[in-house]
Amino acid sequence: MRLHCVDKSLLYLTYARKTLLKLWKTCEYRIVERNKTLGKTPNITHRGIEGYVHNSLWQSVLGEIELSVSHATFITWFQNTELVEVTDEKVTIAVPNIFAIRQFEVKFNDQVKEVLAKNGMHPAKIAYTVRTQGKKTVVSRETTTQTASDSVDELIAPRPKPRTSASQLSPSSGLNPRYNFDNFIVGSSNDLAYTACQAVAQYPGVKYNPLFLYGGVGLGKTHLMQAVGNEIVKNQPDARILYISSETFVKEFMDSIRFKKKGFSDKYRNVDVLIIDDMQFIAGKEKTQEEFFHTFNVLHQNNKQIIISSDKPPKSIPTLTERLRSRFEMGMSIDIQMPDFETRCAILEAKAALSGVELNHETAEYLANNIKTNIRELEGALNQLLAYAEMRGIEPDITTAEGLVGNVRHSRPQHLTSKQIIDKTAKYFQLTTPEMCSSRRDKHIVTPRQIAMYLLRSELHLSFPKIAGELGRKDHTTAIHSVEKIEKSIKLDFTIREQVAEIKEKLYA
Amino acid sequence: MELSVTQENLSKALTAASRVASTKTQLPILSNILLRTDSNRLLVAATNLEIATTQLIGAKITKPGSITVPAKLIAEFVSSLPKGNVELLVKNDHLHITAGGFSSVINGIASDDFPELPTIDETSSIQYSINAADFKQAVSQTILTASNDATRPVLTGVYWHSYEGSLYLAATDGYRLTEKRLVETQSDVAAIIPATTLQEVLRTLSDDISEVDMLFDETQVRFRAGESEVTSRLIDGNFPDYRQLIPASSESVVVIEKSEFVRITKIAGLFARESGGSVTLTASSDDKTLAIHSIASQLGENTSTSTAEVSAEGQVTLNSRYLADALSVLTGPTVQFRFSGKLSPCVLSTVSKNSDYVHIVMPLKS
Repeated sequence: MRLHCVDKSLLYLTYARKTLLKLWKTCEYRIVERNKTLGKTPNITHRGIEGYVHNSLWQSVLGEIELSVSHATFITWFQNTELVEVTDEKVTIAVPNIFAIRQFEVKFNDQVKEVLAKNGMHPAKIAYTVRTQGKKTVVSRETTTQTASDSVDELIAPRPKPRTSASQLSPSSGLNPRYNFDNFIVGSSNDLAYTACQAVAQYPGVKYNPLFLYGGVGLGKTHLMQAVGNEIVKNQPDARILYISSETFVKEFMDSIRFKKKGFSDKYRNVDVLIIDDMQFIAGKEKTQEEFFHTFNVLHQNNKQIIISSDKPPKSIPTLTERLRSRFEMGMSIDIQMPDFETRCAILEAKAALSGVELNHETAEYLANNIKTNIRELEGALNQLLAYAEMRGIEPDITTAEGLVGNVRHSRPQHLTSKQIIDKTAKYFQLTTPEMCSSRRDKHIVTPRQIAMYLLRSELHLSFPKIAGELGRKDHTTAIHSVEKIEKSIKLDFTIREQVAEIKEKLYA
Repeated sequence: MELSVTQENLSKALTAASRVASTKTQLPILSNILLRTDSNRLLVAATNLEIATTQLIGAKITKPGSITVPAKLIAEFVSSLPKGNVELLVKNDHLHITAGGFSSVINGIASDDFPELPTIDETSSIQYSINAADFKQAVSQTILTASNDATRPVLTGVYWHSYEGSLYLAATDGYRLTEKRLVETQSDVAAIIPATTLQEVLRTLSDDISEVDMLFDETQVRFRAGESEVTSRLIDGNFPDYRQLIPASSESVVVIEKSEFVRITKIAGLFARESGGSVTLTASSDDKTLAIHSIASQLGENTSTSTAEVSAEGQVTLNSRYLADALSVLTGPTVQFRFSGKLSPCVLSTVSKNSDYVHIVMPLKS
């Protein structure tokens, strides 16, 4: 991971070759030193320094070419090319296939030469070769025998008798073994979901069927669902588990109709555990919903476990048919919320420990305090911090973090005004700003008005009298009451929480 | 460009090219067919960057030139024309086609952007000339066991390689394996040709073609049959060392008439649909019979028996579809079927002294 970052940042630099070499060498030295202190054996790169320098040079060549040819041409011919050898006279470029060789020789040669020259290389000849995976296609027989003998046992093995024709169609479960319960960090925001998932993993199909997890992006739904799958595989290795996204389901269903493929329904109906991620994408697709409805019934009837995730509770998914909605709600629906401050700190420290770095508490707290909405973003910031510190050879401390977090949070505009908040909130609820600020107390205006007050407080930290003034109230206690009321509702009422989140999204879009 | 060709020749060439022209592509010109004059002939070419095909047809050329036009449209248009002469004329990237009372204008793209067709260095590559009938048989006997699982690319092709002085073809999908000896060779070859390429070559082989020329280099292969050429990339990677999987001898050897074997397999297969094709074969040396038993829990069950020469008793469970596939490509009136117990590979081959083809099917675990 860290090497990757170093590599990437190298790519972006368009320094002269020498500078790159020097920089890489220092990085390499530091990594070796660091690994020594961590007791790891140095494992730098399989291509060596030259490879990285070539690559970064080639990336800048590609960057220039991309500007001068059409996108389709670039994707077709220049993607997956690589600079493999550089000598004073000759430059060798690996291209993906035989067709590209001729294309480069005849059509792009001058262009490549020109851009190489701009980057300080003047080879007399440019050679093109087909890129191979490090193996030659034509190999002497001895080597074939040796390399292949390992894989021969798995090549043709007696195949288990099919329980049904379907098991041929679903050889893999789609689970990623990286996700398990041990590396999931539990906090008050997700412990209910965690406990339910563990119960399901222990007694699949018996407890909580279906299990419906919902919550915003990057809060760990996928992690938890996959952990259930992996746990069940661990306990019962022959259990048939299928993890897919609802998009795959939709696509396969459409393919099965279009190409009259058989086995679609069997594939999904003959599993012991069906895990479907991002269920909201099925919304609006009537036929697919009907097919899923039947699949659901068959599985549920046979006490097979179903686990579903979505970004909204079943109630709030628009255009979800009534019969599916009621079925999703019949098991257990659990909301995964934003992790609280302590959980965020714990996540950061655990992730840092996984990378072999000890993160001091102060830095963790700083990051946790500044990135509140999304665990993925949190991890990204941490990775960035570690890579940066690694490259500079410094400790990942709070000063470095302060410098970097600005980058992560670039999406937050500084100049949000109270007028914008009121306008956007009004627009979201299809009201006008004068209505919001009027003295009317109809219910459909009151809640939006309270939400606007809450947002003014939470996003702009305005004083209560100021908030009251902005919305045409005289008494600041109205503002205090409103903010408190919404704060409370956010914890209890999903609709309000969602509305607030969506308005916030609009504010920062 | 201005020329005239016969409808029959043009239509044949366009149909072959339009099969290769890519429908799903980033680069729009790849869904076009290239038409280019080549001395006194017309070259018709298409590529999808995996395969390229070129056809040369005789033409009366008035003015040389080139153009690319959408593959589907021109192929379908020309194939619906009446037999006789077709006039082609290019003006400002428009192709005017006239034949009898039919005339149309197709908007084309200038041929400058069409990918260069790959060339192969004839001096440094390995060449074979193979009898077309032998080629057809060898390819169809092996191609059916090539895998279509894209996660293991090396198995999606047929492995052409030299071994002990002969050129062999082999293909496996992990459940069955075929090997065919084709011709003698002195050269060292090891190339995995994509099954899709071979299918395309089979389609281009018309009955009047007697020889197929093949040209290998390290990364590509070219087939030439008559005036058509197919050039394809090779699959990168090492084919597994499959030879150790072919059992030298087996416990039970059954020699049976092929037509009988086909019939009982087909009948048993009817009752095996529900169980994923699973059928159980029982060889009995006392009765000299081979029996196939299959059960469909909902529908009923079946036992079909045929007389056979049996060396020793045994039982094995197979997928009936694989068995039927194997029988469909075996030549000769009698078939040898040998197996050892329930887990070792079963071998099907033709009964003849110099048999050059083996077809292996793995049993199902019962």
